[in-house]
Amino acid sequence: MPKIELHHLQFSYPEKSFNLAVENQVFADSMAAIVGQNGAGKSTIFKLLTGLLKATTGTIKVNGTELGELKPADRLKTIGITFQNPDDQLFNATVKREVEWSLSQISSDKAINSQRADQVLEKVGLTEKAEENPYDLSLSERKLLTVATVLAVDPAVYLFDEPMMSLDWPSKQMLTDIFHELSADGHQVITITHDMDWVAAEFSSVAVMEHGRIKFTGAPRELFGDRDLVQRVGLLPPKIMALTQMLGDPKTYLSPEDYQVKHQNM
Amino acid sequence: MDEDKRIILKDINVRYRGADDFQLKHVNATVTAGKIIGIIGNSHSGKSTLCRVLGGVIPNIISAEIDGTCNLLGYSPKDDWQAFNASTGVVLQNPAGQLSGLADTVADELAFDLVNQGLPASFINKRVANVAAQMGLTAQLGQSPESLSGGQMQRLAIGTAIVTQPKILIMDDPTSEMDPVGRKQFFGWLDTVQDTTVFIVSSEIDDLCEVADSIWILKDGELIVHGSPEKVFNHLSAQWRIPEPTAYQLAQRMNWRLDDNRYPVTSAELKEAFDAQN
Repeated sequence: MPKIELHHLQFSYPEKSFNLAVENQVFADSMAAIVGQNGAGKSTIFKLLTGLLKATTGTIKVNGTELGELKPADRLKTIGITFQNPDDQLFNATVKREVEWSLSQISSDKAINSQRADQVLEKVGLTEKAEENPYDLSLSERKLLTVATVLAVDPAVYLFDEPMMSLDWPSKQMLTDIFHELSADGHQVITITHDMDWVAAEFSSVAVMEHGRIKFTGAPRELFGDRDLVQRVGLLPPKIMALTQMLGDPKTYLSPEDYQVKHQNM
Repeated sequence: MDEDKRIILKDINVRYRGADDFQLKHVNATVTAGKIIGIIGNSHSGKSTLCRVLGGVIPNIISAEIDGTCNLLGYSPKDDWQAFNASTGVVLQNPAGQLSGLADTVADELAFDLVNQGLPASFINKRVANVAAQMGLTAQLGQSPESLSGGQMQRLAIGTAIVTQPKILIMDDPTSEMDPVGRKQFFGWLDTVQDTTVFIVSSEIDDLCEVADSIWILKDGELIVHGSPEKVFNHLSAQWRIPEPTAYQLAQRMNWRLDDNRYPVTSAELKEAFDAQN
């Protein structure tokens, strides 16, 4: 399992009052979520992890190697990202060429790249759209295309910024299955999300950000069990807990299934 | 009932230029003014196209082949475009795309339509302050729209849609970029909206069930079912691939039923079913 370490990381944007400061943070879980209010610094962390932004001070290490020391191709094989807005990263004339372009950054074998592109497009359900222009796709299809471009490169660590945004339910199910497959294959999946139901039901670890700081790292059950913390950092518990609390039950539940299991065993 | 108190869609069919398939097929519905309609469906079900028809964007701004009758409170998008347009507020899927791009500040963006209408400055200032407060943007009034987060941008887009006090509000996935608290505030606000007919596309099934008078499910361009949230979700077909509300899932797992033997879909109904069982 890849291990990401952030030490004494500081960053601020010019002409903005926002400051990111992360003292010591380790990501070593196979499925980790980063949550927090809009503007908490979640996407900034991702941009620092991919080198799109450079920290003022501090270090980022993956498996003990400092990120800045990696050659570009090695870096792509180490960390891959999909942005919140797919239009920030799509620019080729066809869906397939978009995937092939990503592959061309790490391999010059066009035949293999073409084959690999077909495989990942099938994985995200876009085979029939392969020859279409990305901008003729729906927003959710463009999101899935960005996922395909990263799957093609197959980095050790996958960063997804709000991958579920604008996806319909079947696509959300498909993506969740893909995340679990990646995790089972030894990859690390780190996801920024506002979907607390998804975090509660599917993730092994969650980091909470507020005002550029990481305020909590631990299991979802631990986070959602701390009502004061959830409220303090501007989050909401998963919907199942809003309902069970309304029914007078103060315990922590991560899904309707979790509630059923606990009550059948009582 | 008078035509001017209803929204009537009669056999609406829409096909975009160059497309083989129709994006909407034989859509029929009548809505009484003042109701909240939650629209759900998967990709390519026709949700955004329906929003464009309801907002008159099709055929007046986006050219497409459209037949059937669309009548909003007595106005037709073809024959009464000005009155139709004045009656509707539209929030599109991409909020940044619908801002004027000309305003230096959030306040100027909110004031844009009112200034164009030549309204007095004192009225505009009061209205802008009121809408900003409703959308939680008071602190951002002096900021540039480009400096806003995605969720704030969506709230600004909603603000620009409601600033003219339209009778009909059409919103396409308006909370997609909001954080959980922002989303909760939005649906709380929606619950307080009065004298306005609201069509809202959203994947937030739980929130929709709490506020909507009626749920419409679109599939492959057809309006396959519409009715109260309780009725719709108690007759959901697995083939439609639509998620169930959390209250419904919990009640079904625990076999908590309402008096009429249906499963609850809102928190109030869940409490009722829970109390009956325990």
